[in-house]
Amino acid sequence: MFPSGRRLDRSTALFVTLLAVGFLIATFDVRSSGDSVTTVIRGGAQTLAAPVQEAIDFVVRPVVGFVDGISNVAGLSDQNERLEAEVRRLEQRLRETAALERRVAELEAINDLAPPEDLATVTALIYSAGASTFDHIRIINRGSDDGIIVGQAVVDEDGLVGRVYLVTKSSARVRLITDPLVSVGVRVQDTNQTGVVTGRGDARLRLDMFDATQPVSEGAVVLTDGSLFPPGIVVGFADETKAADVGFALRTTVDPAAAFSQLDFVKVVVGWSPLDADPESEVPLIDAPSFTDPGSERQ
Amino acid sequence: MTSGKVIIALGLVIAAVLIQTTVFQHVRPLGYAPALGMLTVIALARFLDPEQALFIAFTGGFFQDLLGGSPLGLWASTFTIVAFLALKVRDREIVGTPVVLLGVFGLTLIGQFTYAVLGTLFGQGIINRPGFVGHLLVPALYNVVLAYPVFWLTKITVKPPERTWAT
Repeated sequence: MFPSGRRLDRSTALFVTLLAVGFLIATFDVRSSGDSVTTVIRGGAQTLAAPVQEAIDFVVRPVVGFVDGISNVAGLSDQNERLEAEVRRLEQRLRETAALERRVAELEAINDLAPPEDLATVTALIYSAGASTFDHIRIINRGSDDGIIVGQAVVDEDGLVGRVYLVTKSSARVRLITDPLVSVGVRVQDTNQTGVVTGRGDARLRLDMFDATQPVSEGAVVLTDGSLFPPGIVVGFADETKAADVGFALRTTVDPAAAFSQLDFVKVVVGWSPLDADPESEVPLIDAPSFTDPGSERQ
Repeated sequence: MTSGKVIIALGLVIAAVLIQTTVFQHVRPLGYAPALGMLTVIALARFLDPEQALFIAFTGGFFQDLLGGSPLGLWASTFTIVAFLALKVRDREIVGTPVVLLGVFGLTLIGQFTYAVLGTLFGQGIINRPGFVGHLLVPALYNVVLAYPVFWLTKITVKPPERTWAT
């Protein structure tokens, strides 16, 4: 009787103590946000865990791919026919687009604009995700040794993916733009009006415009405005046509361009930082100091 | 319970978190992943002494914090609460697989909700995210599916040997 009662008391006391310690650590981490001992601890843990995570990912990735392939075999025939038709249609569009590309290049030269693909990038493999279903982070296999620093933009072939927020020598953590803690300064391509896109977890991104004199049309391309990310990167596409409700304030949703559930390889834009942006013109200074030769992309 | 078993138990939780961050990056049916670390903590609470279970839950949660994107201490606190509740229900005179599975579902649900509340209090804005309920329910269901292998593995690695007439 006595021993079990004492045991319960001890475990309850330990429970309360551990909870208090947990809250203290969380408070300290939130209050110190940025350079602190917690950042160092996180970096150390990431460095230690990275080899194991990469090894598990190395083993699991082909297995998952194989299983995916098996499960998709039934639909391959139909998919093949559909893709052949798609290829024919795209070849036609490619011929039409070639002429347009020449015109765009001329216009860019005239306006001294540089497309994002001219920026130096480092290709990285995503080998780990967040530790819970609530997390919207990814861990990549490139770090400070590859010229990656906190704040750099991460993109894939479809558009903006996120932003680097923690870097170790050989890995980096990327907070996705779907994370509610991430906001992106944007402009709508067809009207050139600016706004802010904010993550909403698994739901579509939210676009807030505070000075919207024109409506946003469905499918309108939303691009980064160059304030925190390099300008001209596709963030997503407006979900619906919407005009300002009250005054000039407009709120709508944006379908992200990047397919976050299928992220595999990404590119970290190392040749640009917010400090490189000219506040007057918002045009990136491509020749600003960069960590890699713009012409030599590493893989 | 020897310190060796505590180390093994801790290794199990750490392995669960590492699998969570790698395997379930690829395998996400319906866009959700199970809460494997939490499930391992629940399973360990069945076989460990209370103090050891709480200590391992806190340490495992802290490791999950280190690999996650939220403030440190939130998962540590959440795992500790889940382990404490699991310890409270393990001594009840209720047995049988359905009850255990129901317990796993309920404890995971409570754990996910606790983390969401703590995360929101610490500025993560989790509760007001669209699809929040899915993040509570679906991982809890996945944990029910994974409960048997995880409990089996936990049992064979950390459960103290039962004494018989011959020992």
